[in-house]
Amino acid sequence: MAETGVEIAEIAVSAAELKLGTEPVECAGVRLSRAEGKVRYSLRARDPAVLEGVLGRQVPKKIGDTDAGIACLGPDEWYVVLPDNFDLPRGEGLPVSVVDVSSRALGLVLEGPGALTVLSSGCPLDLAKLGVGRATRTVFETVEVVIWRQAEDRWHVEVWRSFATWLWNAFIAAMHAAK
Amino acid sequence: MSGFRLADGGRVDRRTKRNFSFDGKAQWGYAGDSLASALLAQGQMLFGRSFKYHRPRGILGAGVEEPNALVTVDRGPGRMTPNLRAPSVPIYDGLVATSQNRFPTLKTDLIAVNNMLSAFFPAGFYNKTFMWPRAAWEKVYEPIIRRLAGLGDSPTTRDPDHYDATYAHCETLVVGAGPAGIAAALEAAANGGRVILIDEQEEIGGGALADPAQWAWLAEASAKLSAMDNVTVLVRTTAIGHYHQNFVVAAERLSDHLSLADAEGPREKLWRIRAGEVVLAMGAIERPLVFEGNDVPGVMLASAARTFALRYGVAVGRKLVVMAVHDSGWRDALALHKVGVNIAAIVDLRREIAPELVEAARNAGIACYPGYAVTSVTGSLAVKGVTIALAGVGKGEKLECDAVLMAGGWTPTVHLWSHAKGTLRWDESLGAYVPDKTHENLRCVGACAGAWDFGSGLAGGLLPAPKPLHESKAFVDFQNDVKARDIGLAVQEGFRSIEHIKRYTTNGMATDQGKTSNLNGLQIASGVLHRPVTEIGLTTFRPPYTPQSFGAMLGHHKEALFQPLRKSVIDDWAADQGAVYENVAQWRRARYFPQGSEDMDAAVARECRTVRSSVGIFDASTLGKIEVVGPDAAEFLNRMYTNPWKSLEPGRCRYGLLLGEHGFIIDDGVSARLAPDRFHLTTTTGGAARVLNMMEDYLQTEWSDLDVWLTSTTEQWAVIAVQGPKAREVIAPLVEGIDLSGQAFPHRAVREGQIWGVETRLFRVSFTGELGFEVNVPAQHGRMVWEAIWAEGQKHGAAAYGTETMHVLRAEKGFIIVGQDTDGTVTPDDAGLGWAVGKKKPDFVGKRSLSRPDIVAAGRKQLVGLLTHDPQAVLEEGAQIVADPNQPVPMTMIGHVTSSYHSATLGRSIAMALVAGGRDRMGETLHIPMPGSTISAKVVMPMFYDAEGSRLNG
Amino acid sequence: MLLIHCPYCEEARPEVEFVYGGEAHIARPLDPSTYSDEQWEEFLYIRSNPRGRHHERWRHSHGCGRFFNAVRDTVTDVFETTYKAGEAKVKELGK
Repeated sequence: MAETGVEIAEIAVSAAELKLGTEPVECAGVRLSRAEGKVRYSLRARDPAVLEGVLGRQVPKKIGDTDAGIACLGPDEWYVVLPDNFDLPRGEGLPVSVVDVSSRALGLVLEGPGALTVLSSGCPLDLAKLGVGRATRTVFETVEVVIWRQAEDRWHVEVWRSFATWLWNAFIAAMHAAK
Repeated sequence: MSGFRLADGGRVDRRTKRNFSFDGKAQWGYAGDSLASALLAQGQMLFGRSFKYHRPRGILGAGVEEPNALVTVDRGPGRMTPNLRAPSVPIYDGLVATSQNRFPTLKTDLIAVNNMLSAFFPAGFYNKTFMWPRAAWEKVYEPIIRRLAGLGDSPTTRDPDHYDATYAHCETLVVGAGPAGIAAALEAAANGGRVILIDEQEEIGGGALADPAQWAWLAEASAKLSAMDNVTVLVRTTAIGHYHQNFVVAAERLSDHLSLADAEGPREKLWRIRAGEVVLAMGAIERPLVFEGNDVPGVMLASAARTFALRYGVAVGRKLVVMAVHDSGWRDALALHKVGVNIAAIVDLRREIAPELVEAARNAGIACYPGYAVTSVTGSLAVKGVTIALAGVGKGEKLECDAVLMAGGWTPTVHLWSHAKGTLRWDESLGAYVPDKTHENLRCVGACAGAWDFGSGLAGGLLPAPKPLHESKAFVDFQNDVKARDIGLAVQEGFRSIEHIKRYTTNGMATDQGKTSNLNGLQIASGVLHRPVTEIGLTTFRPPYTPQSFGAMLGHHKEALFQPLRKSVIDDWAADQGAVYENVAQWRRARYFPQGSEDMDAAVARECRTVRSSVGIFDASTLGKIEVVGPDAAEFLNRMYTNPWKSLEPGRCRYGLLLGEHGFIIDDGVSARLAPDRFHLTTTTGGAARVLNMMEDYLQTEWSDLDVWLTSTTEQWAVIAVQGPKAREVIAPLVEGIDLSGQAFPHRAVREGQIWGVETRLFRVSFTGELGFEVNVPAQHGRMVWEAIWAEGQKHGAAAYGTETMHVLRAEKGFIIVGQDTDGTVTPDDAGLGWAVGKKKPDFVGKRSLSRPDIVAAGRKQLVGLLTHDPQAVLEEGAQIVADPNQPVPMTMIGHVTSSYHSATLGRSIAMALVAGGRDRMGETLHIPMPGSTISAKVVMPMFYDAEGSRLNG
Repeated sequence: MLLIHCPYCEEARPEVEFVYGGEAHIARPLDPSTYSDEQWEEFLYIRSNPRGRHHERWRHSHGCGRFFNAVRDTVTDVFETTYKAGEAKVKELGK
């Protein structure tokens, strides 16, 4: 015997009000902040040795390993996150792909003893088993992210720019729920 | 008024009173009471009205199996929850609960007239009675049926609560914290792995909560569990369902048990648990017996009466009769007697009963009736007595009582086992299905596995009766008002499979999912069909195990966080300018920029005129972009796209058309060669992810020898389109390192340089038909460069324009939008894009399909232009097109309108349409029937403005 | 939600990271122009759709990004094995 006139929320309108914070947020033993300005590259090569020749430095060989700002995300794929003003050679004509994607993503950092709980609220991986210094591409709910465990309680999360506002606020919602 | 609070006993806190209301009347109970136990203690027996007949109903069970006593709890605006089971609702100060499905009150329900007419409402009556006339269904029958039959009311306002959700991982998940579950959890925890133990009740203990002898052990085990770091115990948490590979979803109720003042934080939390091993310790549910009058308030399960007495300290009546076919009824009777509940008699259909049970009962002063069955119950709103008869058919004897306890044996709670596709085995001695085989690392323990210590009994809930089945009012499914005779009728009408019988009678459906009715229904069908139970089949248990709020399913995905809303880096600027938005895929895009009191038509007309006469600026950042890099980049694109790419020189752009292997258009876009081994591709906004996935597919699985790699750069680049005769003048002062002159930088060229001090990939391309540039800059600088261009544009009267103007301008030029002017069945030739197909290329994706018989056949739908005879009439997109408007209905439809706008530039409407044999119909008049009138239009080429393209070369 | 063993990452990962890719081992002909209409129809549209063992493609889209093959039982949803793209079809259990 339901009444008529059920109220329908205008979802997209309310979503437009979300803001991406600039200042760190702390709650429930977790600190959420924006990562410093970064240079990002997507590197691809069938043979890592060719890539190492172009870059003049080693790259990690096992998927999930990281080495000095370079994470191995796939059998022929590496993701580089480095401080500002770092230019990599492009390896023109060689069987490699070096693409500057510095603007594509933003970095969010979760720190503190509750950080794992916040990440686990939306990431289906067993993150307790992701060792320090390991990185992986995965999802947080419906949004693709790269999660990089930089220390026991410090997680760097890379997310494409247009999803960052949602992710920032989803993290805050999970932080409040964990109170 | 028959139930009462026993002088002592139970786990309730008798020092703490809780005040609440039921149906508007003030009530009280003790801390630890459920709504059912508190009301029973006050003598309340009537809890609800039944689904179909509105018969008075009381409490049947003491847990989630309760089918009758469904209540609505109101916690304020938007916080009204219907269909809660009274035995599972903990009371708190200020609880407001109401009964359901009655009008106006529980005791005087006017709709109970249905009950008197019940002969006219047999199984399948909805299907039989309300078929014709068809129109009456929507207007007459359905609203009435919805009013008469139904569960509680749905909430009508927004849910103000928040919900939490998480993933969790453990080596062992134990569902159900009775003695078997607790033992399993302790054993697993000792091995060091992570253990999660969940239970739906207010505290752990399960059946032990109704057995004071186990309370000391329970307290010790509980303390042990809480002391272990590797154990998480979740109470008030229901495992809703078991999904693949031990993925169990559970909902934790965080605050509904608290008074409103104490309730803080999220209301519920969804646990998505992945477990190495799952142990199901969900216990068993006692089976009711099927006899005349078994639904009169006061007839309940023996186990329920035991739980109310021993756990809550409440006697359900002053004089009880037990109707048993199982030893457990005798044990429950003796346990009740021991705490001071008056058991007048035990009636048992069996003639042979364990002597020690009979002796104990006689010693307790309980009359015993072996070989007897209850044949009817006196009373309507409450039990007044029963009639019993030897073997159900002998001479009737009347016994006075105010409650009847049914002990029909036990059904293991295999719901989650069945969700996991575990098979079941019929156990004749238990008269029940028990877990058999599973593909999962999953096992059942305790009563859930059929391993119980309640003794034995008969299998089969239907008691013999003096009346024939088709005259009896013995209920099988209390929640859905299904009687034994309905199942008989279904069989008589030809239904054989239990799945069909279930749907015809509604036995085991709805929120109850057959917890008390499933096995009785099966056995009655088996009896009527004269076939063994195992040949009748078994209906499927489906998640959720008990009804679950949508809120928890959503978790944080609510309101603003419902789903990501993608915004470009220029979106905030557009918001400041008062842009009106539209959603495109997950993006929101500025649709138009109204000035003053302009409506959309006025704003779009102004924006269009400004672009055609001077210059417009448009945020095209959402276009999909892919960087294609490697020595084989050109070879790869040559195989993917319809047109040739190897010959494209660095610094030049080309329109690319992408087909599926089936030959139909799936995407398009302009792409540039930046270097011999580097291309910058663009895709449609909605197609970005799909195109990248398709290209990766070919690259990885068909042409894995090619040295080329794809990187999504959609979000790397902000794209600012500057279009119009003044476009060059606007960007010229800002650009460094690029010669913008027509000779040095022709149409369809790309240059790299700087704009406003930022690196840019500058495209000279046009989706408007005007001189135009698309400025690509790294997204982090997009807003700054946009503002610089905007400021420069103001010197030339520039307007910002949105997607609506973009659509009109491109339609004037006949440029298609994939997904609007195409629908997945359109070939390049259908779309008039045959020129974009490389005739000399030996192969590309989709080429072979372009010579299939259906693709080359005459009469395919082709893209044409339409000009309405009335130049101000704007056709509706999607409207159907006919050749002869006077033909009888249903008319032969020959196509539909794909794009339609008013063109301010042309001072009239324009449209594009897919029409059968369209290009052979040039000049013909076609008709578009609309409600009330038919619009006629002339077929023309889909090119309405500057057909020779002279404006591009400014 | 399924757990799928990615043969490149060498670990079981949650289904939401993957995208299903249809039946496996249907190679695009090297020269489609040599195919008759019937052969081309077969390649485009005809799939085995078995009840039981099914060779199928998945992509670890939100992980390592690689396409790979799997043998899954369409009745139980149990994965028999997963293997890298380009490796030979797994004909029978254990071989």
